[in-house]
Amino acid sequence: MQGWIPALILGIAALLGAVFLYNTVGRGHRASLIVLGAGALTGVAGALLFMLPLNFCTFEQEHDIIDQVFGVLLIAIGMAITLLPARWVLTRLLNKQSFLAVDASPGAFKGIILPFVFLAPTLIILAVFLYYPSLETFRLSTLLARLGAPRTAFVCVDNFTRLVDDSTYFNTVVVTLLISLAIVVIGLILSLFVAVLAYQPVKGARIYRTLLIWPYAISPVVAGVIFLLMFNPTGGIINYGLDSVFGIQIPWLNDPSVAPWAVILASVWKSMGYNILFYIAGLQNVPKDLLEAASIDGANLVRRFLQITIPLLSPITFFLVITNLTYAFFETFGTIDYLTGGGPLNSTTTMMYRIYQIGIRNNDLGKAAAESIILFVMVIGLTVIQFRTSGNQVTYGA
Amino acid sequence: MKRFSLLLAAVAMLLSAIPAFAQEPVDVNVWIAFTDAGRLGWAQDRAAEFNEMFPQYNVIIEGYANYEELFAATALAAEQDSLPAIVQYFEVATQDARDSGYFTSIAEALGDRTEINGLSVNLDDYVAPVSAYYTLDGEFTSMPWNTSSAIWFNNMNYLNEAGVEIPTTWAEVEAACEAIMALENAPEYCFTFPNHGWFFEQWLAQQDAEFANNGNGRDARATEVTFANEAGVAVLEWLNDMMDKGYLYYSGAQGGASWATVDQAFSSQQIAMAAYSSSDTATYTQVGVDNGFEVVASFLPYNDATGWTGNLIGGASLWLTAGLPEEVEDGALSFLVYMTNTENAASWHQVTGYIAIRESAVEALSDEGWFEENPNFRVASDQLSQSTVTTATAGAILGAFPSIRNVVTQAIDTVLLTDEDPATVLQSAQEEANTMLEEYNLLYSE
Amino acid sequence: MATYPQEQARPAVRPTLSERLRGLVPERWYIHVLLWIVCFIIGFPLFYAILVATQTNSDIYAYRFLPGSSLPENWNVVMNIAKLGGYMVNSLFIAIVVTVGKVVLSLLAGLAFVYFRFPGKWLVFGFVLITLMMPTEILILALFRLVNSLGWGNTYLALIVPFLASATGSFLFRQHFANIPSELSEAAQLDGATPMQFLLRILIPISWNTIGALTVIQFVYVWNFYIWPVLIINGQERQVVQVGLRTLMGGDTQTRYGPMMLGAVIASIPPVIVFLLLQKQFMSGFTLTRDK
Repeated sequence: MQGWIPALILGIAALLGAVFLYNTVGRGHRASLIVLGAGALTGVAGALLFMLPLNFCTFEQEHDIIDQVFGVLLIAIGMAITLLPARWVLTRLLNKQSFLAVDASPGAFKGIILPFVFLAPTLIILAVFLYYPSLETFRLSTLLARLGAPRTAFVCVDNFTRLVDDSTYFNTVVVTLLISLAIVVIGLILSLFVAVLAYQPVKGARIYRTLLIWPYAISPVVAGVIFLLMFNPTGGIINYGLDSVFGIQIPWLNDPSVAPWAVILASVWKSMGYNILFYIAGLQNVPKDLLEAASIDGANLVRRFLQITIPLLSPITFFLVITNLTYAFFETFGTIDYLTGGGPLNSTTTMMYRIYQIGIRNNDLGKAAAESIILFVMVIGLTVIQFRTSGNQVTYGA
Repeated sequence: MKRFSLLLAAVAMLLSAIPAFAQEPVDVNVWIAFTDAGRLGWAQDRAAEFNEMFPQYNVIIEGYANYEELFAATALAAEQDSLPAIVQYFEVATQDARDSGYFTSIAEALGDRTEINGLSVNLDDYVAPVSAYYTLDGEFTSMPWNTSSAIWFNNMNYLNEAGVEIPTTWAEVEAACEAIMALENAPEYCFTFPNHGWFFEQWLAQQDAEFANNGNGRDARATEVTFANEAGVAVLEWLNDMMDKGYLYYSGAQGGASWATVDQAFSSQQIAMAAYSSSDTATYTQVGVDNGFEVVASFLPYNDATGWTGNLIGGASLWLTAGLPEEVEDGALSFLVYMTNTENAASWHQVTGYIAIRESAVEALSDEGWFEENPNFRVASDQLSQSTVTTATAGAILGAFPSIRNVVTQAIDTVLLTDEDPATVLQSAQEEANTMLEEYNLLYSE
Repeated sequence: MATYPQEQARPAVRPTLSERLRGLVPERWYIHVLLWIVCFIIGFPLFYAILVATQTNSDIYAYRFLPGSSLPENWNVVMNIAKLGGYMVNSLFIAIVVTVGKVVLSLLAGLAFVYFRFPGKWLVFGFVLITLMMPTEILILALFRLVNSLGWGNTYLALIVPFLASATGSFLFRQHFANIPSELSEAAQLDGATPMQFLLRILIPISWNTIGALTVIQFVYVWNFYIWPVLIINGQERQVVQVGLRTLMGGDTQTRYGPMMLGAVIASIPPVIVFLLLQKQFMSGFTLTRDK
């Protein structure tokens, strides 16, 4: 590769960084020169964030246009990662706000070391077992690597760009999204319905609630095992029931358009308890006087439910959408592995299941790592939406 | 006081001496890919007998759900230096097994010993197809144990009623199906097979077509797969045709799970015929007895257009881990020898249907009249011994074969469930497989 | 608007009507009926699994809805051939250790975040916060290599240590503590209590609901471990129950559903027991800490 390419890239990055910070922070400020310099430095750092480990390989001549576009994308992401915090820090600095300020929580104990002692185990474990493997996953994703092989090979961003025209991968993404969507929509609607029922003040409500929520304690694997028995094409109880009542048989596990429904039903069954629990808790917070006022105004049961209860439950619904999506992305793995094994015709192969097949079954660590990162980015997107919309709400689960 | 401390010292000495007397037996871990009472249970029984005979060893058998899972688990275990003493690898993992360096060859471990712990070793006693397959570079590499071939099971009640002979070719299968499906009490479908790349490999070998280059990987390391050849396309076109005509039942299950669905369809008489591994001859025969229909096993039908050259071996063998402590290695070797001795080879054959791998076992069984009374049990070995040995029928050896086999399985899945053209599907499967092979070779070959 | 006066008039008539009905059928009987139906549908899969656990395959294919006679035989397969008991012990052990460890570390983290002032708190907080976006499932390949290089492959440590820290738990307690009036800690400090004494004597006793909720969530989470143990644990000695169930799935041979269902049912007992025992705390832990 010609040496001028990295130089050109870094130059543009410096320029963009300087312009960005200057426009957003430093315009007309006394310290504008400092801002420009800081912007240039941060811009370069952002460009180098991915390009240094990759050694600018995406711009080598033997790489095609897709690799180059991907390289530019990586530079842009890297710059966003460095410039956005830089803007925040600079703004506070220039406005003489100390960002080391300590919140004045009343009733605080004295001591600076002690809190770190309390936090140390948590921080160390998170750093070693979450942060480090994340970085390592990035490194792995640039390699051709197999367990037990005497060597590895650096393949630049091939593990990512090869997915661009891979129709099987595209299919996997669609399958993941559709299955997740169905699990969320069907799961939440049914759960809300059941929660409203269970919320009615009837005798034995406690016992009913226990009987409704317990599948929460069942594992995704066991859900897969039990539904495998029930959906079995020969001898399954569900087809027996359908056949004797309606005279139909459904090819639950061997038709690519039906098999995802088997996974969805099993997953919804397993996750409903959790949703019902939250909805019951939410319903307890719906003010009675509001509902009474509405009923005095002549709103019937359905209208009261649609116009008052559902809007008041929307923060919980939103929270549940996110946790159910995470569940659908990751925890359905056990169900799928026992129920359909990803088939037929890959119709139940989710992104997570594919990562397992490629990484473990095919022993192709690099490709699996690359696909992990794509899934990672999707999860980050979801989490950001969650925080944006609902503030620092406590996340239940995992 | 002095006396007391003397007493203490004596007690301490006694205590420390106990382990020397009651020596802890050496653990010999064995991982196999069976979980059913029939096969895992059989192996556990042999281990129990062995442990009784040789109290210095403690053989522990662990069962994994299928070959693919065990194969993955072995690579993971090797990464953490926790390999067991013996691992059962299926035939397609042979190249990976050699490249990995996890294992040592049986011949090398034995050296020139003709007996071990008083058990006599006889590596010349194996039937020809078995010793041919497991001899690599002129050396006995792994211990044969469960050797099978793909055969054909017929529900004679349907065949007799339809007045057809047992089919031997694809055309005869079609003709038989036509007659069977016209019956008044016709089954739901005519025949099925477990969707597992192994059957594709069998049908390819029958037509004397190679799966990979360089003499199917036997002359030199395979660098390309060639399965999208005419013979390969013919297999897929035939299956597709049978599916379109409504004769072929396809459960949609692949790999491990597909075997169980075929079992279920055949034993519940929803189909008349099935391609299956001879490994389950015992179960298939018994299922007919239990449910009142006659089951006859026959050779796997072949393509009329190209004729029959021969069939492949299937199943798995037992590999010995490299670098074991001497006493563990000796224990492992002794157990391998014990588990595959004449008596046990015969019993294993009778319990399952895997072929009797020792000449002496075959002899003993013949003397008993076993094969005359149970003709189904001789089909697989007959099919193998009547095969002409070519590079195609010897079977392919190539890297990343377990993954490549899955690619073929997926291709069959696609052909059977969509309208896509078999030749196109197979061609793109071949390209995918070639990438896998190329990447594998990049990391392993010199 | 025309209906308005009628609405007001109703209370005078209504009591007599409902009083008459109350004696005949349970109040709001239709709710009971609906709840029964829903409970039945939700419970059916497990009910059917328990039934099948006593049957043979031919019982199942004949759709017999009475308990079969092969429970002892199925039990033998589950316990003596698949050796599920050992897996259960392993799962129980790691679930208890991880749950206890997580609760303790989360309590400490919550204490540090709410009852201390220290520089860089927002940074530390952010550091923990971001891990909510890092599901272990995505990182397993890299984690596998890391844990092996630590020499923890195939040990309980691999199933325990990486999971001891919990962003969820830290936030749960932070949130819960933040809602407790600050007078409590001020009073404790006046009495000369150390932070640990404050935690043990005052905070924990008023946090049982949150602790109970976290315990249920984490116990179930650890009990459900599947893909990670598939990788990191090899051999049966230390394997967990969700993976162990695979031994009951016939691989290339006919699946026997009786033992498989018996195994599934047995594997579900501990988490269900934990859930039932801590049900009250679990439910009120949610109501209490949920955001406004």
